[in-house]
Order: sequence, then C-alpha cells, then structure tokens
Amino acid sequence: MSLRVLNPNAEVLNKSAALHMNINAAKGLQDVLKTNLGPKGTIKMLVGGAGDIKLTKDGNTLLKEMQIQNPTAIMIARTAVAQDDISGDGTTSTVIFIGELMKQSERYIDEGMHPRVLVDGFEIAKRATLQFLEKFKTSAIMGNEPDKEILKMVARTTLRTKLYESLADQLTDIVVNSVLCIRKPEEPIDLFMVEIMHMRHKFDVDTRLVEGLVLDHGSRHPDMKRRAENCYILTCNVSLEYEKSEINAGFFYSNAEQREAMVAAERRSVDERVKKIIEMKNKVCAGTDNNFVVINQKGIDPPSLDLLAREGIIALRRAKRRNMERLVLACGGEAVNSVDDLTPDCLGWAGLVYEHVLGEEKYTFVEHVKNPHSCTILIKGPNDHTIAQIKDAVRDGLRSVKNTLEDECVVLGAGAFEVAARQYLINEVKKTVQGRAQLGVEAFADALLVVPKTLAENAGLDTQDVIIALKSEHDKGNVVGLNLVNGEAVDPQFAGIFDNYSVKRQLINSGPVIASQLLLVDEVIRAGRNMRKPT
Amino acid sequence: MREIVTVQVGGFANFVGSHFWNFQDELLGLADDPESDPIFKNQRLNMDVLYRAGETQMGVATYTPRVVSVNFQGSLGSMSSSGTIYSEKISARSNISTWFGNVTTHASEPRKKNLFLESLYEEEQDKVRGRENDNMSESQDKDIVECLDKGVEYWTDFSKVHYHPQSLYELSGLWMDSQDFNNYGIGRDIFSEGSRGEELSERLRFFVEECDHIQGIQFLVDDSGGFSALAADFLENIADDYTNIPLLLYSVRSPSLHTNTRSSKRSISGKASKYLLLQDEKLYHSSAVYAAALHSSIIPFRMEPLSSALDSSEVSGAMDVNTLVQMLSGRDRQNIVAILDAAIPSPALSGKQSENTLVMDLQPLTPEVAEDVEDTRAIESMSLLGAIGSEGIEASISEAKDAVHASYEQNTSVRPLFCNVSVSRCPLPVPLPFPRIFGNLIGRKGEILGSPLSDSLPRGPLDVHSVPLATRLRSSSAILPFLERRMGNLQKYGIQWGAVGSDLVRTWGFGREELQEMRENLSKMVAELNPQLLESSDSD
Repeated sequence: MSLRVLNPNAEVLNKSAALHMNINAAKGLQDVLKTNLGPKGTIKMLVGGAGDIKLTKDGNTLLKEMQIQNPTAIMIARTAVAQDDISGDGTTSTVIFIGELMKQSERYIDEGMHPRVLVDGFEIAKRATLQFLEKFKTSAIMGNEPDKEILKMVARTTLRTKLYESLADQLTDIVVNSVLCIRKPEEPIDLFMVEIMHMRHKFDVDTRLVEGLVLDHGSRHPDMKRRAENCYILTCNVSLEYEKSEINAGFFYSNAEQREAMVAAERRSVDERVKKIIEMKNKVCAGTDNNFVVINQKGIDPPSLDLLAREGIIALRRAKRRNMERLVLACGGEAVNSVDDLTPDCLGWAGLVYEHVLGEEKYTFVEHVKNPHSCTILIKGPNDHTIAQIKDAVRDGLRSVKNTLEDECVVLGAGAFEVAARQYLINEVKKTVQGRAQLGVEAFADALLVVPKTLAENAGLDTQDVIIALKSEHDKGNVVGLNLVNGEAVDPQFAGIFDNYSVKRQLINSGPVIASQLLLVDEVIRAGRNMRKPT
Repeated sequence: MREIVTVQVGGFANFVGSHFWNFQDELLGLADDPESDPIFKNQRLNMDVLYRAGETQMGVATYTPRVVSVNFQGSLGSMSSSGTIYSEKISARSNISTWFGNVTTHASEPRKKNLFLESLYEEEQDKVRGRENDNMSESQDKDIVECLDKGVEYWTDFSKVHYHPQSLYELSGLWMDSQDFNNYGIGRDIFSEGSRGEELSERLRFFVEECDHIQGIQFLVDDSGGFSALAADFLENIADDYTNIPLLLYSVRSPSLHTNTRSSKRSISGKASKYLLLQDEKLYHSSAVYAAALHSSIIPFRMEPLSSALDSSEVSGAMDVNTLVQMLSGRDRQNIVAILDAAIPSPALSGKQSENTLVMDLQPLTPEVAEDVEDTRAIESMSLLGAIGSEGIEASISEAKDAVHASYEQNTSVRPLFCNVSVSRCPLPVPLPFPRIFGNLIGRKGEILGSPLSDSLPRGPLDVHSVPLATRLRSSSAILPFLERRMGNLQKYGIQWGAVGSDLVRTWGFGREELQEMRENLSKMVAELNPQLLESSDSD
C-alpha cells in the first residue's frame, strides 16, 4: 500500500489476480520447454528477425535466446539458468518442475485453499524427498576407483538427450576419457583444462579427442615449418615485439640520428630476448633432429619472427591465457615470464606439432605428448549449427562426468526416481503430516511425476497408461523407469540410464523455493517502467 | 604497418561506430572509383590500419573492419550477427543432422530491410550476376535519404559495411528491454556471468593475434547505463591481457538519455557548429558528428609512411597511438582526460590573419568544458582534413600548417605550449547514408558560402559530397569543470554522511573506501591541472 502512496501511477494487481498471473507465467514457460525433455524431445529451430537460424535442444540455450518479458517467467528462468551454472544440467527439468508445482497448486487454490498451507506442505515434502534421495542413490565407486562403466552410462544418458544415438555413443568415450585425463588425485576437477575446439570441416562423426592441445592460430611467418616432430615446447609470456618504453617515448628528438639511435636501442633489447631463446634451442637441439616450438602469450613482431624462422623455430603469438596452463599440463615444463634464466627444465615436449589451415582459420595441433593432464575435444561438423549442438552436448556430458566423480554416486534415471519418491511421499510421508499440509505434500508428490509424464508425452505414449503401469510396478517393489520405445517399464540400471545426484538434489531444493515465493505473492505492483519515464 | 583494433560497447557507441565505418567504406570505394576526385585516389592513408584482409571458406577474399562490437540482443535490426559475407546459405531443414527427432520452429517476425539496405542488397545481387546497373536514379537516392531521415531505429539501418562474423556480439539472456538496461548496477555482473567475458576476450584476441605490430586499441563506450559497467570489466581485462598496448577510450553520451537528464541537457547541438542543423533527439544525427570527429582525430595514425621525418605532399604529421598518448598525458602533467574539439566543416584557411577563424571555430564535443581558458601548459594535437584555401581550392599541406600557426599567432591567449599538426589533403567523404544535417551555407565540397542557398531545407549527402574537417585533442585545464563536477557529485551523492546515493553505489559493488579512493584519484587529476585550486575546491 505504501508504494501506492508514493507512486499513484503504479498499477496494482490484487492477490488472486497476482497469483494467477504467476501461475500462468509458470505454465507458459513450462509449455515452451517441456517438449525439449529427454531423448525423444523436440529440437527447436529459432529464426531471428534478421533471418538467422539457431537450433537447440538445450533448455539453457533456449532460455537465453528467448526474449522473456514477464517478470515471473524471468524469475523462473533465472533459477533455471542458475541451476545450469551450479550443476551443469537440469535447466529444462527445473522449469517444468516449477511449472508443475504451480499447476498442482492451482487446483487446490481454486478450491479455496490458502497458499500458505500448500507452501508448508512443500517444505515438508522437500525435506522428505531429499532424505529419500540419500537412500535411493547408487554408489559410483568400485573399490577405490570411480566405476568407469557408470561414468559412461551417466555421460551417455546426458548426451542422448542432445544428439542422435550413435553420435552420442561415440562422444561418450571422448567425454569420459577427457575428464579422466585431467583429473588429478585430491584436487577439484577443472573442466577448463579440457579445451573444446571446433572446425567447420568434414562431419560430426569426425569429432575426436586430441591428447594434447589444439590452438586456434598458427605461426605467422611463411618460412616456418608447418609440421615438426620431436619438439621441445617453450611456453612463455614474454613480449617479443618492439615497443617504445614509456620513458623514452618523447616527441622531441633533437635530430633524426638521435631518434634512430633510440629506436635501434629499443630494438636491440627485443633481439636480446629472441637470442636467448635461440641459444636455448641450440643447447637442446644441437646435433639432433629435434625441433623447437615457442608458444607465447604476448606478441611477436615480424623481425623477431624472422630471427626465429631462420633458426628453424616455430613460433606462435598471443596464445590464450588459459592455454599457458593447459600447455604445461599437456606437455610438461613450465610457463616462463622471462627468458633470462631459461633452463631445459622449463621446456615441455610433444612428439608432433603441425598446422591445419581452413580458409583464413589456422589450427596448430600439439600432439603425441607424454602423460598429458590436459586435452582437447576437437568438434567437427559441416556447419555452425551442427558444431553448436555438439558443443552444447559435450559441455553437458563433461559436467555430468565431473558431477559423478565428485558426488561419488548417481541416481537411477528414466523417471524411476520421481515415481519412487512420489510413492514414498504418498504412502509414508503424507500420513505423518498433520492437517491440510498433507495436500501440499500430495501436490508436491504429483508434481514430481511431471518428469516421467513429459518423457512419455514426448515419446508419443499415453501418459495415463504409462504412469499407472509405473506406479503399480513400484508398489510391487520394483524400481523401474520408462522405456521410451514401447512404453513399458524398464530397469534403469539394466538399461544404463543414470542421472546426476547433484543435479537432482539442486532441482528438488530450488524448485519448491521459487514456487513458494510465487504462491505467497500478495500484490504485484507494476511501477518500474512508469517511474522511469520522464514526466 | 601498425594496426588498430576498435571496440564498440553500447547502443550509442555503435551508432557512432556505424557512421565511422561508413566513412572508411566510402574512402575505400572512392579510392577504387575511376571517376572520383584524384584527391581520394591518392589519399596516402593506410586502410590496413583499420581493416583486415581475410578469406571465406569458399576462398573468397574479404576486407573487413577490425572491430568488436557489443550490442544488446535484438539491436542489430535486420542484420545477422554473423555478418553477411561469411554466412553459408543452406536451407535450414537439411541442417539438422544431429537430431533425428521432431523439430519445431519458432520464428520471430522478420525485420524488414529499409529502402537503403534493400538497394545495397540489390546492388550486390547485380554485381554477382555480372550486371551493371546504372539506373540507380537520382530519385531513388533521394528516397533513400528521405527514408533514413524519417526512420532509423537500429545502427544497422544505415550501415553499408560488411562485418566479420567475429565482430558483432549480442548480449543474450538478459531478459530486459534495452531501455531498462540503463544503470551501472544492472550491467555490473553481465561481463562475468556465464561465459560472456571469455567470449568477448576471445573475439578481441582473434583480431589482435593477426596484427603484426598493433599500435593501439580504440574503445568507444556509452558513458552511462549498463554498458558502462560491462565496458569497465572489459577494459580491466584488456589491461591485464595487453599490458603494453595503448588504449584510446572515447566515452560517448547519447543525447536521448533520460535517466541523466540534467547533465545530458548539455547536448552537442549548437555546440558542434553553427553550420549544422542537428536534431538532438536523433541518435542518427548526433552520432554522425562524433564519428566524423573520431575519423579525423585518428588520421595521424594511418598516414604513410608512418614517420614524422618524411612528409609527402598529401599527408603530414604522422604519429602512432603511443606517441599521442605520451604526448597528451605523459609530458610534464599527468592528465589522462583529453578534450575533443571539432569544426565541421572547418572554415576556409586564409593567409590574412584577420580572416583566420580556425581556432575560434573549434567547438568542444566534450561536455562541461571551460571556455576561454588560458592554459600555457596545454598540449594539443590538431588534425586537418581536406582544408580549403582562401580561393576555394584545396590548400596544400604547407598552407594548412601555416594557417594553424597563423591562427595561434593571432589568438595568443589560447595558444598551447605545444601543438602537433597533422594534415591530410583528403576531406571527409559524405556517404549516402550520412544524415541531412548541413545548413544552407554549406557548398558541394563543404565550403562555407558567403550567402545562404535558396533552399532552406537541411542539406544532405546528395548536396554535399565532402567536407573539410578540423579536430583537436587537447590536454588542457579547460577540462577542470568536468573533473570537478564529477568529484563534487561523488562527494555529494556518494561519500557524505547520509548521501542519497550511498546505498545505490553500495549495491553497485563500491564500498566506502573504494569511493574515497576514486575521489582521491579525481582530486589528484584536478590537482595535476591546477595545483592552486586544491584548497579552494572544498567550497564547491
């Protein structure tokens, strides 16, 4: 009310209208995203105003491309995107879960129930579901090591929701192996150490794992070798270009000679640095047919390139900051900030370095490295759309493997968890709840079923039949999920369908929080825009 | 060759950029056109400084601006963010090779190309088909000018340049209208959120890596709103990654800014020149003036050969970005804020001192600048483009230089300690999509006429083909009011006890100490320019 006093222009929606606005917004967003879910979902083609086309099956990408106006929908979208940021997946599930919670609540509210009661029920159900999840999860550890089969199954489950089956299966190994490659004992997994590089070239099935590094640039000198074997790698962050030092950069040289002298002096100091590198090269390569490659984060100007090329050294400039770290992990040695005290220990090693040119794009492959702790997933595809989709899928796949390694457990997929949790809530938890909050628990339990329902719907199955079949199997004590091909019950363990524990946990945590906030809204005051308009 | 990479961040910055690249495109076109004035053919301005040569995967050679432009999602109008020349034209249906399931299409309403873009497109199609189309009638051009004058919504509406697919970056997933993206706080986490910062740095790196010996980065940014916060983060990133590359920051202020009405009242109309008719509210108009000034001020960086020792008959006074930066900010005063003045068009140069008005005609584009300041320690860099001599013909290099010195001799009160003069005989070409902003005292070659032409309409690209320009960057104490005002506002709204803005700036992520540090920095800048003022400034 006070706001209305402050700003008489504000548009105020009363409680019931506000509530229904929220519910409708949540349902609307759910409608857009729900066809995305699962391995039988629909891919979306977005055509922009300028005619550019984006293809996506990823909820996160889709949300970002949408121009959402409704404040409620924006709130849900932010939660869903945050879900992705935290756990790497589950954007679509979050949106449809929140939508379903709102939808279930609507039924009770229309019958005159107070949202507060529902919200209390949600809270009880949420805690019970999280406890149930702890009991339900499956360990992903075999002895002391992570179970590679489970890692593969988790990755495959994720990838198959984004790519056609055989491509997904091919990428499964790539994704799992790349995470295992960068994993170091007792350290958190840094997925940035897996470089994802793409080339618009050949076909999607040519996507591969490069044990080593692929850089998106090449040498900038015509005489440098395009291919070299047995290479020492110098990773450095040293300027090899002539630049005027600040003190000397005056405008007032008394004469041309003085100016020339100044320039020459500055040039000399750059040359000194180049010479130090060349000395190192001669030290380690002399008398052998080994090669020497310099990968520099700073610039290298043409005169320096010339000097290096004359010595047969391959040099790349302006490498990504992150590649400094990756290179050292892949090839060994260390990244140096100065060439003053170079020792052979600073150098890394790669069996093969070669360049690949596509139009104006150049790629440098650093391969055949010993014991790499960094690697590159090289995505290939005939066009940008294909590449973008594989990239989305690979990101999700990597996250799912990382999550599994960190969670040390997984959750049975294909809707098995949701049905089991629902039965648990209805059969056990609901009884223990006093009064009408029971209905909140029930609404929550039914909302969980949105996952198997949507999976079935997207597969063109009859949702009623499917849900009844699943429920009765669970009542018999069989933990089953949904076979999307024939609509029958299937053992997810047997079918190899696993979801991430942390994704589920996050989903169950955040969904009810947002739904509760939206249900407890008293008034919606639309004031912002009017206030900003000049009066 | 010393390359420059351009970064444009924000709505108005992109408007300015669009005009700026149009000028370059026009210069490129005129240099190739056998019918154009020889002055354009022999301009001795190196376009490679700003442009990059590349090729598409089909092997077609391309020549595109070395620019990274950051836009609001949807602000590219009918232009595709992947540019035009590199795009593959395959039907979308056959593209879906990664998914065998169903496809649904969500199409936004196609944005219609305006008359200008339509005509560009047709022209290109004709070229592809090998058909020379000469019936680009005068009347069609008239319609185009008319159409642009009436409705420019996006900066792409009047752009005739092909951009590289790495150039145009759209901010997606903000879920707000561009009008709501209007304060620093809103833009605060935009750069770091998701992978935006990484993507932007990658795009910049793409252009920088290609440069054999980059001389600098020019960075255009909207001076307030969400983009300013994004730009601040971006700049910090650039400073980390490219420690020794000098950066020229141009902070542009859109005249249509509502949030900041008080300070934006000081608009550029009437200031820019008495010969221009600007409609202030039109970004399309005001951005053209800024772009012209920008073009002129960076001319010295593009002159061939890049050495002040050798002057040709076409250009003189070359220098690189570093030299300019050192000259303006690093001599005996550490002042990092320069004032940009412009005279569009510049007056005819006259040997006779009494008629020489050049210095007086330069008007500051920078707001809140003190006028008639005597600053004996000022440092200036003046650029003259296509200056016209007293007889109405193009002045030679030495004539132009002499005129500048004569002008200062005459107005000794504004004479700086040092002034670098860069002269190019090539005037600013006026491309077709340039707005109609010239008054009826401007002739065909931008000369100022003695008596007004009969038609009272604003004159546009069809009537005025080129314009002589003069701009000046100066490091002078005339900037003091600007700095003092900033400092005063910071104190009044942010630092004082119970200041109205203190909560707001806290939500923007600035603690009290940071604010004090900021004020400290500002007061240092003020003191640098005017040590005596330090004590008395408290009363402000």
